[in-house]
Amino acid sequence: MGDGKITQTILVVGGGISGLTAALEAAEAGHEVIIVEKNPYLGGKVTQLYQYFPKLCPPNCGLEINFKRIRSNPRIRFFTMAQLAGVSGSPGDFEVQIKISPRYVNERCTCCGECAKVCETEIPNPFNFGLDKIKAAYLPHEFAFPMRYVIDPSIVGTEEGKRVAEACSYGAIDLGMKEETLTLKAGTIIWAAGWEPYEASKIEYYGFGVYPNVINNIMMERLASPVGPTGGKILRPSDKKEAKRVAFVQCAGSRDENHLAYCSSICCLASLKQANYLMETSPEAAATIFFIDIRAMDRLEDFYTMIKANDRIRFIKSKIAMITEDEATHDLLVEGENTQTGEQVRERFDLVVLATGMAPNKVPEWLLPYVGLDEYGFVINNGSNKGVFGAGCVRRPSDVATSVQDSTAAALKAIQTIVRR
Amino acid sequence: MADPKKKGKAEGPVSYDPSFSKEVFEKVDYGEKIKMCMQCGVCAASCPLSMVMDYSPRKIFALIRAGKRSEVLSSKAIMLCTSCYSCKVRCPRKVPVVDVMHGLANYALKQGYVPREETALFGREFWKQILRLGRIDEKDLPRRYFFSKGIIPGIKKSMELADMGIVLMLHKRMKLLPERSVKGIKELRKMLEKASAMGNGGA
Repeated sequence: MGDGKITQTILVVGGGISGLTAALEAAEAGHEVIIVEKNPYLGGKVTQLYQYFPKLCPPNCGLEINFKRIRSNPRIRFFTMAQLAGVSGSPGDFEVQIKISPRYVNERCTCCGECAKVCETEIPNPFNFGLDKIKAAYLPHEFAFPMRYVIDPSIVGTEEGKRVAEACSYGAIDLGMKEETLTLKAGTIIWAAGWEPYEASKIEYYGFGVYPNVINNIMMERLASPVGPTGGKILRPSDKKEAKRVAFVQCAGSRDENHLAYCSSICCLASLKQANYLMETSPEAAATIFFIDIRAMDRLEDFYTMIKANDRIRFIKSKIAMITEDEATHDLLVEGENTQTGEQVRERFDLVVLATGMAPNKVPEWLLPYVGLDEYGFVINNGSNKGVFGAGCVRRPSDVATSVQDSTAAALKAIQTIVRR
Repeated sequence: MADPKKKGKAEGPVSYDPSFSKEVFEKVDYGEKIKMCMQCGVCAASCPLSMVMDYSPRKIFALIRAGKRSEVLSSKAIMLCTSCYSCKVRCPRKVPVVDVMHGLANYALKQGYVPREETALFGREFWKQILRLGRIDEKDLPRRYFFSKGIIPGIKKSMELADMGIVLMLHKRMKLLPERSVKGIKELRKMLEKASAMGNGGA
């Protein structure tokens, strides 16, 4: 049995699908859980996806179920706009610092939207990767949980900020909020900090960040989403024209010793799925997928077979070596070598989607005494963990189903740390 | 070593002969790096000269694996590389494509293959001049190269390019007087001889 010194609280860092899963599994097994999430909402990257592969169902459905489980479970507490800032102590007796950024909106917010109406300043919408703009008093997205507005710091301390605060008839806006740091006790920590798409501007010859019509695959999810910046129409960023000829460039950074040396494992299926989004927009739309290998494993091969049957989706075995822009039209010229025919490829497209890989969010220096990393920066869970366990995409690039399994396993390891039977 | 007589005698329509791969791995500078190639084709599409090559760099590597000794060693592609380094910079498997191509060209010449005579002649004249002067004489090298194929082709080629020569001289890009050798030419020759003995020589 555990002795009195062991803190029975589990700290989960990251409120995406992995963190939510680990938190819920642990809480429903009877443990106290605290979630720390850096965004103003829970759900992480999954909230930004339009459809899951291979079922092509909406991710919000599963998230809603998880949010309901959180609401009905008194053992879970969560902090949004919060980050883990420091850890000391040992397994069973950690002291953790949590830094909370001011939201400037308290729990009285009813989401009436009066503040946004008087707000004039617009900021690039972080939820849509800057593909559109949003008022500086905003709801992060339609299904945000917690359902509460955020005031951007850019208008705090201005006349406009005052007007925005006065527009609220519920007294929900408090511009005097300050950043605060909490010190809490935790027995064990689950690190579920997730991932970011690989910074594609580092692959200079693809022109990401230079040519407006070269986007990454997670931006494509936002374009396809009916509640995204284009209302679900796949429009090119340069001229808002419908994209008819779209190229998917696989392994954009992945399987490349100069970038991410590993296979990110999900990008093949993500592009197959996104080619399918395009098919639904217009009968004239055509997709070309440039690949090294299509890695659709096990049951996911059925999805590949299904997509391959569509004669508007072409597959060309070629790693793309160059993307250039036609300055007059902002069309893109994609070059490679078709390694099945030996011919040089040089084709024109309206839009290029880079299938960027998954880069794990970095483990801070001060956490490394408690948890090991592999050569690529992914967290290793083995016998050497000292009370800190990785969960989901910080452990390996993985899809949602695999992340959920991995997080359930991490919850079990965390429970074993504090129960010590 | 691959025996051409054995080719085609194995079962099936394509016979893969590993002996040439082994030869390349062991005897060609940087040849072993070909093991890393995953046949993605980035080198081929990055190469500014691929349209005039008989085989793209990727195809050269595939031919090596397939044991096509004479196709590889007599290929013009291995001598057309201009060392622009685009392929080497982009190769996702960090194959030093430029160095492998130069290694192959060097090896082909040693084996008695002359895949592209012009390149070989220019290379020889270039090195002769470096050994003699320690630098390149901008008018003497092309002259020697033009006349290396005989007097008549030499005169013809010189006439063709006379206009350019005059412009270069007017802009002081080319001197009339012959170049002098660099200081310490004997020491330089010793260094070059040592480098040559060490084996990492280009085409």
